[in-house]
Amino acid sequence: MSRESFAAPNLGGSQQAPASGFQPTASGYENLDKPVGYLCGDCDTKVTLKRGDPIRCKECGYRVLYKERTNRMIQFEAR
Amino acid sequence: MSQDQEMVDAVPGAEVDGSEVGEPVREKQRIRVLVAQLPGSTDTAASFEFEKEDHTLGNALRYIIMKNPDVEFCGYSIPHPSEARMNLRIQTWDDVNVYDVLEKGLNDLMDLCDVVVDKFTISRDEFNATNPESEIRA
Amino acid sequence: MAPSQEELERRRIVGVHAEHVDNVSSTDFPHHYLGEDHSWDVDHFRNKLQVKFHKNKPFESVFSLVGIDAAVANAFRRILLAELPTLAIEDVFVFNNTSIIQDEVLCHRLGLIPLTGSLEGLRWMRWYKKPPPADDPAAQAAARASGEEFDSAASVPSDNNTVVMDLNVKCEWAPDGQKLAKQGERDPEKLYVNSSVYARQFQFVPQGNQEKYFAEPGQIRPVNPDVLIAKLRPGQEISLRCHCVKGIGADHAKFSPVATASYRLLPSITIKEPILGQDAKKFARCFPKGVIELVDDEATGEKKAVVKDTMKDTVSRECLRHDEFKDKVALGRYRDHFIFSVESTGQFESDALFLESVKALKAKCQRFKRNLADLMR
Repeated sequence: MSRESFAAPNLGGSQQAPASGFQPTASGYENLDKPVGYLCGDCDTKVTLKRGDPIRCKECGYRVLYKERTNRMIQFEAR
Repeated sequence: MSQDQEMVDAVPGAEVDGSEVGEPVREKQRIRVLVAQLPGSTDTAASFEFEKEDHTLGNALRYIIMKNPDVEFCGYSIPHPSEARMNLRIQTWDDVNVYDVLEKGLNDLMDLCDVVVDKFTISRDEFNATNPESEIRA
Repeated sequence: MAPSQEELERRRIVGVHAEHVDNVSSTDFPHHYLGEDHSWDVDHFRNKLQVKFHKNKPFESVFSLVGIDAAVANAFRRILLAELPTLAIEDVFVFNNTSIIQDEVLCHRLGLIPLTGSLEGLRWMRWYKKPPPADDPAAQAAARASGEEFDSAASVPSDNNTVVMDLNVKCEWAPDGQKLAKQGERDPEKLYVNSSVYARQFQFVPQGNQEKYFAEPGQIRPVNPDVLIAKLRPGQEISLRCHCVKGIGADHAKFSPVATASYRLLPSITIKEPILGQDAKKFARCFPKGVIELVDDEATGEKKAVVKDTMKDTVSRECLRHDEFKDKVALGRYRDHFIFSVESTGQFESDALFLESVKALKAKCQRFKRNLADLMR
């Protein structure tokens, strides 16, 4: 859910995915050639890597890359 | 969850201002006579069970009921700490009815609260008038 | 057959001895003393009750209630802590949090921030009842079994039960930050923008009628704008939305309107035999400053110890450790003199909170009186 489209949830878990239509083997489920964004552990620039790319920051050559945080909204109780 | 529902009662003056949304929700009965626990409750000796009450009301009510000369015995207990209920036992002398005693206890406690509010307000206003620096409000 | 003045004084004092306390229970009940009437009498209570203020600030009130029983004083204290409603953050919707503080820890911290705003608006607000989770049939069954009336309107966030606050902070390098860093500057305040997230950065987002009830300067805001929420470094970001609801301290401490509300009994110090000269000096040092005063004794021409202000005493019992004093002094506390100290967290004023606690006890009685009437029918 993007930030702009957020509406106060109606509490009741109506956002659950429908039980049907989920086919893990269908095309597009796991596209191995899809580029994935990472963050350099040193200079914090965004590094986009594809399958087979060397794990290396293109700016500074640092070899530690971090996954980006999920862009989904997560609800917590302040307790 | 139980505490959330408890909150409805904690609104000070909610009954008074009548500004509750919608029609007033029927109040849940939270007091009952314990019959099963003893051979039987009589008019002069009975235990009452208060739901969702604790030492706050229990001890205050016990004190004020013990102030009644018709009362032979009054005590309260919380049978189990994880269950939000309080039991109040009243035994009276002669033929005095325990229900009347409990009602008088509630009335007396309300009178006591009124007196405390009056005296507190007077004293505070006097103090604030003589100590203007405490009037400075954030 | 009225009791003598000494007898009344003796009954009033809880004895504090070196290794034990005595006379701990109230005895002012009917049938306790032969020929004395201790039954409840409002007028007698009104004449006896005294309220003395020592301090009255919004964040702290100190006052004495004299002539009240511990059972009732304790009820007021307990209501102050656990049963008066306040507004606090309850639900947090985290869109992004790349700071080093974990989501659940951050949300817990947010909940504890004391909020304030227009009192009129806070009184206008209603309860928000969280419905049992849709994926938890056990909780749903328990809710149904509780027999409480379920008001579905109270379970939908709306302007009269939920306040929305946003927090969007992103840390970046200051314009000349990189240059300063090369020069050896280490102060994060100079190097970065938004290196610290403070409570003042919360944005109140009024919904519906809240525009009217929480108009400036009564907008919902943290009591203290300088509460440090998190620390950030360049590239890190916190972006979240909070739903604040009314609740009571019994549910969660964040809803408690007081930092603390407590009472102590006024200490009593009785000097039974004169304490003179060097002994008097030593005796005064057994107590906090200002409790014992040294005066000139006309009979002996020496300094004599007299009790000046027991309010400052802590009843440390130090004087009972010295053989020369232990038979000359009696320590105790007045059983019916409660020195209350109420420290508000800032949503309401301390003295107003105490009044609310008394009214809440009365409201409880009213409710059970109605219940009792129904029971009798």
